[in-house]
Amino acid sequence: MNPVLTERPIDHSQDLAQEEELAKTWHNLRGLSGWLSVTTHQQIGMRYIVTAFVFLLLGGFEALLMRLQLATPNNTLLGPGGYNRTFTMHGTTMMFLFAVPMMEGMGIYMVPLMIGTRNVAFPRLNAFGYWMFLGGGLLLYGGALTNTIPDAGWFAYPPLSGPQFSSGKGVDVWAQMITFTEISAMCVAVELIVTILRMRAPGMSLNRMPLFCWSMLVQSFMVIFAMPAVMIASTVFLLNDRTIGTHFVNPAEGGDPILYQHVFWFFGHPEVYIIFLPALGMVSSIVETHCRRGVFGYPAMVLSLVGNAFIAFGLWVHHMFATGLPQIGEAYFTAASMMIAITSGIQIFCWLATMWSGRIHLTAAMHFVLGFIFIFVLGGMTGVMLASIPLDLQVHDTFFVVAHFHYVLIGGALFPLFGGFHHWFPKFTGRKINEKPGKISFWILFAGFNLTFFPMHLAGLNGMPRRVYTYSPEMGWGLTNLLATAGAVLIATGGVVFIANAIQSRKFGAVADSNPWEGGTLEWATSSPPAQWNFTNLPVIKDRYPLWTERENPGIVTGMRNDRREVLVTSTLDAYPHHRLVLPGSSIWPLITAVGVSIGLAGSVAAFSWYYVATVLGAIGLIGWFWPREPLEIEP
Amino acid sequence: MSTRRALDVSGLPPYYISNQSPLFLGQVLLCLIEGSVLSILIATYFYLRLGVDAWPPPGVRLPEPALPTIALIPLLASCIGSYMASEAAKRGDRRKMLLGMSLNLLLALVFLGIRAYDWGSFTFRWDSDAHGSIVWAMLFLHSYDVVADLMMTAVLIVIVASGRYGEKQRIGVHVDSVIWYFLVGIWLPLYAVIYWGPHFVGVSR
Repeated sequence: MNPVLTERPIDHSQDLAQEEELAKTWHNLRGLSGWLSVTTHQQIGMRYIVTAFVFLLLGGFEALLMRLQLATPNNTLLGPGGYNRTFTMHGTTMMFLFAVPMMEGMGIYMVPLMIGTRNVAFPRLNAFGYWMFLGGGLLLYGGALTNTIPDAGWFAYPPLSGPQFSSGKGVDVWAQMITFTEISAMCVAVELIVTILRMRAPGMSLNRMPLFCWSMLVQSFMVIFAMPAVMIASTVFLLNDRTIGTHFVNPAEGGDPILYQHVFWFFGHPEVYIIFLPALGMVSSIVETHCRRGVFGYPAMVLSLVGNAFIAFGLWVHHMFATGLPQIGEAYFTAASMMIAITSGIQIFCWLATMWSGRIHLTAAMHFVLGFIFIFVLGGMTGVMLASIPLDLQVHDTFFVVAHFHYVLIGGALFPLFGGFHHWFPKFTGRKINEKPGKISFWILFAGFNLTFFPMHLAGLNGMPRRVYTYSPEMGWGLTNLLATAGAVLIATGGVVFIANAIQSRKFGAVADSNPWEGGTLEWATSSPPAQWNFTNLPVIKDRYPLWTERENPGIVTGMRNDRREVLVTSTLDAYPHHRLVLPGSSIWPLITAVGVSIGLAGSVAAFSWYYVATVLGAIGLIGWFWPREPLEIEP
Repeated sequence: MSTRRALDVSGLPPYYISNQSPLFLGQVLLCLIEGSVLSILIATYFYLRLGVDAWPPPGVRLPEPALPTIALIPLLASCIGSYMASEAAKRGDRRKMLLGMSLNLLLALVFLGIRAYDWGSFTFRWDSDAHGSIVWAMLFLHSYDVVADLMMTAVLIVIVASGRYGEKQRIGVHVDSVIWYFLVGIWLPLYAVIYWGPHFVGVSR
């Protein structure tokens, strides 16, 4: 029996009664144990965002230290060892503890709101993923506090990172920290894919889904195929070679260090797109809302996202042009690397067309988007240059590469992220963010960014290698480095203005209604900040922008039970209602499981046998997690 | 009084024990992750193989295929047990669920027993050379997955036997069988690579 749409009289008193019941059902327990057993997506998403932001500050602090060290020739602020540790911690923090978890956090928070449901498909897995991420961060920085700091770079190439040249436990901590964060990312990927494919509001067929959700869907699939590679590289190869004497990367016994590079970059290149795709989704959300029209070329945008994902898996060797691989193979990777400019370019042109044909509102969020386009296009240009083997060989491991990937990653991910933060700030907090300080922080960040990283192109072309702790004055790199350091101070200033504005607006900003930007997608249909259950009546839609086209008579779902955490499961392609699903409530077991697994994995840095500890403690946690609870039978 | 369009879903079932359950899709994705892990290990095997002239190095015997081939019989047969259990879970047939899961567990233990016995005949360890490292990595990871799933099956047997279970646990039984098919299915290429691959790939080097 398929449900059909009928006209019903509006009954506000019934809505109120429903809200009261939902508030009881979705209420999170009070106190510390309640806080530790939260499984709702808004709280978990916000924890990801806040934790990742703390790591952004730590990684930024490390970047400042490096810039201060390099400001003048023959500087002795950090020294060679300290500099190695600082750039390793900076890269590791930014890639594994900031960028990916931040994007995941935004996805966890926004996706259920944008597709019109109440939580993610696996709320306890969601909580578990967060605790594992936190465990990984604590492992790396806990190690740092006890002076166990990795120093072989964020990709830890053997033989430098192998047992022969990296004694101590720093590299082992690095390798196992990866496992924590990758487990977390894979948990999020699985639950977001299932949420997006099976829990969209009735009527939201895949071709009506907001582009941000598309980007999270594509990104999640990339996580599933890419993240296993880095766990193999870091733990199966590197950690085992270091702790139990395997020979994966030991050429003396038939292993091969280049194997590590292949497997690492089979993850490492898609990783860039894992960070970048959600940012593209945010840009689409911002552009369409602040230009008051749907994104130009929606099908082309979706196909480009998917195309980006596929091509991203065929690029990894362009990180390895200097390793002496067969030229025919390298030529293929050059072609693929240039090809990704097509799918990226299509999206840029679609946004430009959207802005051109829309009514552009120059809000702070929009400023960040325009800054993104400027910076990212420059980064894309140097990317196409680097795809060419002769040029790559010339500037390999120089500051030119450093400049390139900061243009791509800061321009391509951080600026859209800050834009998204301004855009969704009213939804997160219920208050508007002050526009003027927002724009000021943008201009400081934009100027500081270009001042820091543009000179690095020149330093690199003039031959300055990356990862050197100092240089002599006669090399002629003094001015570019001094400028870059001045820019870094400017970036820090912009960061302070941004944080101050966020705190000030959070406390004293103007109260925002449900849809302060007059957006068209479902996250703006519910109150700001949203209630724990997101929507009192789950929406039914028949258009890509229901808030623009169906404002007068929005469709709703009725007949859900409100006395338990129920969501609607719909069909994958067309989002026809299929069945109702009862989600679990709060649970402490994800935390217990994560703590058990974390103890074992942290111990495995010292000895392999700790994996068995992880297994036993993890199994105990999982049995508690899955043990049947009342009511056993699910009543209709 | 104005009206609004409403979609009444109260007639829809509150659970679904089949491949339409979100848990099933989640499990398929977890299998994809584990499948990626093991596929990369297979690629690694051939990468390492083609990087050296002698595989395995002199003095090391390749693993013998005889016992692992015999072990395939109980392994494949155990799928009958998990199929029986998952079909019974859909109907809510407690007796058949228990029978199916026990059959699955028992035959899988026979398989593991033969595998463990076979390991005694290996002339290499994970720290002997690269061949030993990759073969043991494949065997360890697959065995780890098998043991983990059997622990889950054992817990489900206890829960179903206690009689204190509901639809959620029945979906669990169904999904447990999905993992098992995956673990059996992925073993076939791993088995072929470890025990037969060296006889066909790179022989002439």
